[in-house]
Amino acid sequence: MLIAPAVLFIALLVGGPLVLAVYLSLTNATAGALHGDWVGLHNYTAEWSDPNFQTAFKNTLIFTVLANAVIVVGAAFLSHFLVREFRGKWFVRFLVLLPWAAPVALSTIGWLWIFDSLFSVLNWMLIHAHLVDKFNPPQWLGQPRLSMAAIITVHAWRLLPFATVIMIAGLASIPDEVNDAARIDGAVGLRKLWYVTLPLQLPIALIAVLFGIVFTATDMAVVYILTRGGPFNSTQTLPMWAFQTGISSGSLGPGAAVALYLLPVLAVVTVLMLWAAKRVEVS
Amino acid sequence: MRSHRTYNNFWTYLAVGPFAIVLAFPFYWMLQTSLKTDQDLYNTEQVPFGFGKGSPTVHNYSFLFTDTQYVRWIVNTLLVGVVVVLFTLLVSIPAGYSLARLSGRWGQSMGVGIFLVYLVPPTLLFLPLSRVIAEVGLQDRLGSLMLVYPGFTIPFSTWLLMGFFKSIPKEMEDAAMVDGASRLRTLVSVIVPISVPGILTVIIFSFSLVMNEFIYAVSFITASTSKTVSTGIYTELIRGDVFYWGALMAATLIPSIPLALLYNAFLDRFIQGFTGGAFR
Amino acid sequence: MADDESTSDGSDEVSERRTSRRELMRRASTGAVVFAYGGAAAKTAAAKVPQYRHKELAGTLRIAQWSHFVPAYDVWFDKVYTKRWGQANDTEVIVEHIGQADIPARAAAEVAAQSGHDLFWFLAPPAQYEDQVINHADVVKAISKKRGKMADVCYRSTYNPRTKKYFAFADTYAPDPVHWRKDYWTQVGFPNGPTTWDVVLKAAPKLKDIGHPIGIGMSNEIDSNMALMAMMMCFGGYIQDKNHRVVINSKGTRDALKYAASLFKAGMSNEIFAWSAASNNQAMLAGRLSMALNAISIVRSAENTNLPFAKDLRLSPIPAGPKGRVGLEHVMGCYVIWKFAKNKPMAKKFLIDLEVQYTGAFENSRFYNFPSFPLSVSNLSRRLARDQHEPSGKYSILQTINKKYTHNVGYPGFSNAAMDEVFNKFLIPQMFAEVAQDKMTPAEAASAAQRDIGKIFAKWRALKKI
Repeated sequence: MLIAPAVLFIALLVGGPLVLAVYLSLTNATAGALHGDWVGLHNYTAEWSDPNFQTAFKNTLIFTVLANAVIVVGAAFLSHFLVREFRGKWFVRFLVLLPWAAPVALSTIGWLWIFDSLFSVLNWMLIHAHLVDKFNPPQWLGQPRLSMAAIITVHAWRLLPFATVIMIAGLASIPDEVNDAARIDGAVGLRKLWYVTLPLQLPIALIAVLFGIVFTATDMAVVYILTRGGPFNSTQTLPMWAFQTGISSGSLGPGAAVALYLLPVLAVVTVLMLWAAKRVEVS
Repeated sequence: MRSHRTYNNFWTYLAVGPFAIVLAFPFYWMLQTSLKTDQDLYNTEQVPFGFGKGSPTVHNYSFLFTDTQYVRWIVNTLLVGVVVVLFTLLVSIPAGYSLARLSGRWGQSMGVGIFLVYLVPPTLLFLPLSRVIAEVGLQDRLGSLMLVYPGFTIPFSTWLLMGFFKSIPKEMEDAAMVDGASRLRTLVSVIVPISVPGILTVIIFSFSLVMNEFIYAVSFITASTSKTVSTGIYTELIRGDVFYWGALMAATLIPSIPLALLYNAFLDRFIQGFTGGAFR
Repeated sequence: MADDESTSDGSDEVSERRTSRRELMRRASTGAVVFAYGGAAAKTAAAKVPQYRHKELAGTLRIAQWSHFVPAYDVWFDKVYTKRWGQANDTEVIVEHIGQADIPARAAAEVAAQSGHDLFWFLAPPAQYEDQVINHADVVKAISKKRGKMADVCYRSTYNPRTKKYFAFADTYAPDPVHWRKDYWTQVGFPNGPTTWDVVLKAAPKLKDIGHPIGIGMSNEIDSNMALMAMMMCFGGYIQDKNHRVVINSKGTRDALKYAASLFKAGMSNEIFAWSAASNNQAMLAGRLSMALNAISIVRSAENTNLPFAKDLRLSPIPAGPKGRVGLEHVMGCYVIWKFAKNKPMAKKFLIDLEVQYTGAFENSRFYNFPSFPLSVSNLSRRLARDQHEPSGKYSILQTINKKYTHNVGYPGFSNAAMDEVFNKFLIPQMFAEVAQDKMTPAEAASAAQRDIGKIFAKWRALKKI
């Protein structure tokens, strides 16, 4: 069987460790030890009642949903224009692709500097446009709502190029005949967009969203670099809280439980979306 | 249509311009920052878009190349990227092919199953994996990353290639088989050549995942000579509570620009990869 | 013999100071590259390549530690000290650096793998790894024979009284002085600077008015954690008592919370909620802040970059509160020897030798690294006084701070895994920020903290670690 190496590899490198992680979440293991005493579901219930865990859970959902809303709308919009021919298209595409080419752990540091409490270029521009108070400028990483916006911005920024590329692919795959037929039927402009292009683009948009969801929900780098969950743990996310609990603090069992809370939710979302993508395509 | 050309172009620029500016601004800002001295950087009186005394300077760049092992880290990252990409192709082309040829639902649900692998949170997965790495004697070697990264590049690639192979008419390979070629030979000589766009997609996607990965790279490798770009930079350019901002920005720009150029050059073929592939 | 070595270290340091930091880094990396290629070759050949001509070294000792904020320290440690020690002890010493933020991940990975370095360094007491490490009592004992008693702050950071085990060996710690701007404080009529928290509150609005607020962070980062825990103690608020019971819901804590909220409103800006560990340094170096709590990295950076106001930067002990002057260490450098370490005997010997002659480390870290055994650096006070930077003698106060006001995290109890978890989850900055931003009253915040921290202590107590 040609598939055997792939299955074996994944089972060994992902399946095995995952089983171990599930086991750990049911024990009181500490600090890197891969064994502990069985405590059943205690870690799950204990975390569930922790206010910071609740914030983290809520935020993970909020960040994922909002960032992906921005990504999908932005990418759908952008892709419509990028399939056209225009002067300088190559350069525009280069600019659009940049965020995808930068390693996230480094590009987020660029954002950290842009959002800096004192040297923020963003604030400098806002101050000089007389939009904010010079002496009390917005603290992008210090006020709960602004920090959440900042994190969502960075997620959207780094994933938008990828989503755009997928969407361009979707558009490019619409056969010329469909476009011609639409023109003959008198469908132009917005009407064409709504009745012809968008429905055809939908399955591929779902794929873009799926990737976006997975990459935002399981990511730790952005929050870790920007706020470490602050201010006052108001921007905690599950991967971040899992890391602080299980790795930094050494409560490995509870940390594993935190990390695994997301798995069933994401699994259901994924299966539903893949199923939806197929359905839309068929109809 | 042609008479609308300039008019259309105007709207296109108006629509695309803001996006391009927002997406690229951080890089412009990295460039500006990387050309400044520390004194200039920490001067709140200075207009941030201008340069103060001693700036612009290439000091941050020369620091990176002469005083750290930056080049080595870049080479390491490329090395891991290339090996992982090759290995990924080696495993996922046959896997995708056989999934594509598996009859009906079974292949499809297997494809979904493979995709679900992405949902496993890497936050803690690195612990059991580091045990595996140590058992096979790869701790602190680049080989550890080459072994682990395919764990998340193979599922995607298999899934993508599966869709791609499905769109290839079965008659083509039947013809080859009639000529006496084995299944494997058919795959290599018939299927692969017409699947170049799909394979290109896999290459680019896998490579960008390798570039982005951080937690495994941090926990598996401590020897400075074996570090990858992200982790090496974190070690050398963030010291205690001092950030070397200029050098950090320079270090981010240097790999990003050529990569973006490369992705752009491949984009047209890449798009073909997607459209021919998984999504129809 | 011993004195010989320390003076030669000292003179190394003086000559090195004349060369620029850049030069030092260059030298370091060239050395590292050469060294590294040697190492790589050895690995591929699967045979030991002698690092020193004509001499095969018997053992290997692998050390992992952070990148010191003073690059010169790493140069000295990697290229000078460990080389010399290695030759004297017939051991190849390999020093590898880890970004400070990445230390926990790597440590956990080594434990999971049951394989890694012989010596692993943390910047805070790693009590949660107690089961994974040897008892470091031998090391402490051996040094005590030569250098007397260990500093109390280090003892209380690394000893677990319940299990009677040293879960780490603290080689060093950094005192946590107040940095303040003499010029600004004089301008608003407080030339003596932040002597008491009361004075700070009085001066704060005036300092903020002239554009130079106070900078005590309330963010998810280490400096905020340290500064706020220390401030709490000055008001009589403690997280645990000396029997390791959680006592944070106290009048002292509420007073500190009330005070911090009014200090925030009077003399700080929103920036303090947004900070990373680097932010207070940068804001101070930009000339914005009038006061911050930090290890000496701020003043050292100001000197290195020749900032015009470097001479106006002063160091002081933590301001006195209603319950006195109680401060914390800023960094507690802790080496551990894993149970699975391959070369335990040499690891122990390395620690003993390092600590017994700590002068080189002290000088090359530019006084950042204080010795865990006070007698390990000869004439420490005189060395502090000898620093050349303007105004002369400003570093002398470090010795006072060190001797009288530097306590462990968890004081008056011992540092333990539960304290570390409170620290890593940033529960103290969270409590302060919630009160300062009027999300909670002091009473609510203190009792919420009591509840959350209580659970953490219960968890570790059940594991029989407290």
